[in-house]
Amino acid sequence: MIEIKKTYKNYVGGKYVRSESGKTYTKELKNEFYELPLTSKKDIRDAVTSSKDGFKKWSSTTPYLRMQILYRLSEMIEGNKESYVELLMHHGLTKQKANKDIDKSIQNIVWFAGLADKWEQLAGNLNPVSEEYFNISHQNPIGVVFSLSGSNVSLNELLMSILPALTVGCSVISYSEENSVVALKFAEDINNSDFPSGSLNILSGKFENILNDVSKHVEINLVALHKELDNNGLKSIEENASESVKRVFSQPSIEGLSSILPYLETKTVWHPKGT
Amino acid sequence: MVNWQYSESIESREILDIKSKYTNYIGGKFVEPNSKKYIDTISPSTEEVLSQIAISNQNDVNKAVKAAKSGFEIWSSLAPYERSKYLFKLARLIQERSREFAVLESLDGGKPIKESRDFDIPQVAANFFYFAGWADKIDLSWSTKGLKPHGVVGQIIPWNFPLLMLAWKVAPALATGNTVVLKPAETTSLTALLFAEICDQAGLPNGVVNIITGDGTTGSLIVNHQDINKIAFTGSTQVGKLIQKSLAGREVGLTLELGGKAANIVYEDAAIDQAVEGVVNGIFFNQGHVCCAGSRLLIQESVHDQFISKLEKRMQALRVGNPLDKNTDIGAINSKEQLNKITNLVDEGVADGGNIFQTECELPGNGFWFKPTLFTDVQPSYSIAREEIFGPVLTTLTFRTPDEAVEIANNTEYGLSAGVWTEKGSKILWTADRLEAGVVWANTFNKFDPASPFGGYKESGFGREGGRHGLLSYLKESS
Amino acid sequence: MQNNSTVKYSNNISWESVLELIYDSRVDSVGLKERVSSLATRSVKKDSKLQALKMIVSMCDLTTLEGEDTEGKISQMAAKAINPDPSDKEINSVAAVCVYPSLVQTAKEKVKNSSVKVAAVSSYFPSGQVPMDSKILDTQYAIDAGADEIDIVINRKAFLEGNYRKVFDEIVALKEVCKNVHLKTILEVGDLKTYENIRKASLISLAAGSDFIKTSTGKLSIGSSREACYVMLKAVLDYKSLTGISAGIKVAGGIRDSKDAIRYLVMINEEMGDEWLSPNLFRFGASSLLDDVLKQIKKLKTGAYQAGYYFPRG
Repeated sequence: MIEIKKTYKNYVGGKYVRSESGKTYTKELKNEFYELPLTSKKDIRDAVTSSKDGFKKWSSTTPYLRMQILYRLSEMIEGNKESYVELLMHHGLTKQKANKDIDKSIQNIVWFAGLADKWEQLAGNLNPVSEEYFNISHQNPIGVVFSLSGSNVSLNELLMSILPALTVGCSVISYSEENSVVALKFAEDINNSDFPSGSLNILSGKFENILNDVSKHVEINLVALHKELDNNGLKSIEENASESVKRVFSQPSIEGLSSILPYLETKTVWHPKGT
Repeated sequence: MVNWQYSESIESREILDIKSKYTNYIGGKFVEPNSKKYIDTISPSTEEVLSQIAISNQNDVNKAVKAAKSGFEIWSSLAPYERSKYLFKLARLIQERSREFAVLESLDGGKPIKESRDFDIPQVAANFFYFAGWADKIDLSWSTKGLKPHGVVGQIIPWNFPLLMLAWKVAPALATGNTVVLKPAETTSLTALLFAEICDQAGLPNGVVNIITGDGTTGSLIVNHQDINKIAFTGSTQVGKLIQKSLAGREVGLTLELGGKAANIVYEDAAIDQAVEGVVNGIFFNQGHVCCAGSRLLIQESVHDQFISKLEKRMQALRVGNPLDKNTDIGAINSKEQLNKITNLVDEGVADGGNIFQTECELPGNGFWFKPTLFTDVQPSYSIAREEIFGPVLTTLTFRTPDEAVEIANNTEYGLSAGVWTEKGSKILWTADRLEAGVVWANTFNKFDPASPFGGYKESGFGREGGRHGLLSYLKESS
Repeated sequence: MQNNSTVKYSNNISWESVLELIYDSRVDSVGLKERVSSLATRSVKKDSKLQALKMIVSMCDLTTLEGEDTEGKISQMAAKAINPDPSDKEINSVAAVCVYPSLVQTAKEKVKNSSVKVAAVSSYFPSGQVPMDSKILDTQYAIDAGADEIDIVINRKAFLEGNYRKVFDEIVALKEVCKNVHLKTILEVGDLKTYENIRKASLISLAAGSDFIKTSTGKLSIGSSREACYVMLKAVLDYKSLTGISAGIKVAGGIRDSKDAIRYLVMINEEMGDEWLSPNLFRFGASSLLDDVLKQIKKLKTGAYQAGYYFPRG
């Protein structure tokens, strides 16, 4: 007997929502179906509105608190490890690979959690200008980030497409096509953590449906593609993005400190020194 | 006229479970001291005997260092991520038992519960959280090649912020891969020993943290032990110098965090009411038992009278009393010895010709207490203007120009911290540039954060604790 | 700007001195917030709490300032003002009732055999955006109707335009209308926004002869705050240093519960001292606050949490 699994919903503004189009698409694994939201243009618009609000809240959360929230997320995933492993195995991964993926995920969350209250010490600096001025460069998170998840089924890869931006204070709209079941399950752990609503929105669907809207939406500050697109797709995005000088990163580095650099805006402040 | 007095609001001691006697924590176990010697540890607010702690001897120190060495073998072989997890665990456990720690700290050391609850213990947890996050990314901290831990670190800490000083020492040491032998101050060992229980609870590998109690002799034994790779000391400049001398000719790393006689400079264009608060906080916080206390008020002559008048009025609102009363601002002096030191220096100040103001307050019968005190009409040559008093005593000096302020501020062998009060930004930066102090607080005072490096210039010591720079205290370049 | 700088006012302070005070106003908001927060950590329990709650009752100006106020409404409120909790004889009357000018006569009639004063808002409360003559008329009307106290609003338009002299002159003129009637000047801190502005407005109002300075009209979403009150009390203390005059403070707008009210009292107690712990120098503009205070008093006396319906509506 073929079972129909529960309908996963998008996670926007701290709530689970269906696509406003009412449409879904099906993912079939082993003996099960998953019905997943087929995100529409309107869904994207709503997600961005939510992410803008989420950005205000998340970026004004202290680094210390962001660290605590991220660390707690790792505790949640650790607690739900078995169910993630099971899910990955349903997708065809071996038990060993599945375990490794979840372990790596937790390790990375802890790594980024511990970076939240430190990256400024590594990225910012005083500038030794030649006049009697105090001159400091420091970074602010860029804003709303749209992140397209890779095509592999992996919690770790999903996280690496989200964590760098999130850690430095951006709000993230994470979009998955092939990795959606993992992503929307992960949304449940986000929901149980203390992330302000809108700081992380998770949606699923076919990217080609929303490619134009995402790349043209002026209030999305950065598009990060963790999946290789065909040349036409990437070119399209970059052309659309140029209309609002939106930043586009194709397969940005996810290693170490360089992973956060795309998501930062540098501000340099001068102040005279004197009596 | 209404007379509204706050009723007592005493924090309960019920949460505590103080043993009648404490032994050392070595190699993951509580062990009897080889010396078999114990001393009483009392509550300085009532002189009640709380418990007994061990005075460790050479054999105890040997045991601890040996345990730390084998602990190092284990600790350094772990993946950095594992060390990170242990430190996060310690942080969590401290958070969970924070009330217990706070009450114990106030009872054992004399500081108000309001402080231990709202400042000390939260900072302790924050330090462990902060350094937990460095453990798995030391490679990012400095681009200096091949930074490695020292190995076994000997740490000697003071009695003014017992558990916080422990956190400042243990967290970065462990995060960078070292193991520790720590000796808390003999008047305030109880929270360190409770921390040992936390290490147990966290399942920390044996020998990573070793806590041995004792007095100055024990400290000396640690400093002179041949298998210790680095010493970290916070305490008086006098003892710091002795330690530095002991280590001469030996290849042992050293960081010192010593005394201070910080200048709190108030310019005429300061936000006066906030400056008064800052000055009060600077010297009366923690009964003045703070190395970076703003113990010299440098006030611009044009606003001297107005400022002093407001200051005296503000001081009068300070409540001295039972540390466990939530409304107490100023607790007990840590020991009879310290009380004597303070009293002697204050008497000298009066004899020298300083004008003394003390608040009117009823001091409890038992215990060690000192009224908040302010000296005006002071000359820079008086001992109260030069020597660290380490009590709730503020000394006032005047200046006329910014240059003069800086000169007076720097006219001391100390260089730990300084305060600058003015609403003019450029003057803050100009002054900060010229102050010989490791920490400059502008329009604020006594601000601490695990991410912010802390340490002194000149005879206030060397090395920094906290922040990216603080890691360097526990790392060395491998050859 | 008028050139009346040589004229000294009855409060002994010249316009020059006022200007000097104003331009010397420096407030660091971070330090200020920290001080206010630290005062809020005071633990006020048992007898000291009961004493505080009773004081608060005696400091309340029970207020209704709605378009829908009627004589019936005022009558009910007056009764409550005189006898807040009929089941507890130990609870005294509140300090005053505060109403619109058209209801002063009724209010006066209803409280006539009690210690409760009648305060009226005037000067085209809450905006004050009318010519001076209208403000004077408004105020005179309330006084003729029998008001014991007048609450006016400062001219925020003039203040934010930098015309401090105009703000000052208006208050002086309205004080002249009041004569011996006690005058409270509302700064409307929600419009002033910065602490420096609040300090300046406080000093101007005090120098112009206000008996009290008051935080807010209660008509904005931003009402009183302890930080604003702190700035004001510092101004009152500095003014006293200069002139020997003790002016009062009224906090209004947004003080909903006893806990908050007690925090204000703690601040007044520790910053100003006993002299200000009296309805003569400190008031709460209240509507829902009073009920919460009565509940808390009952709880302290009986040990049980109370429901709102035990206390008569006012």
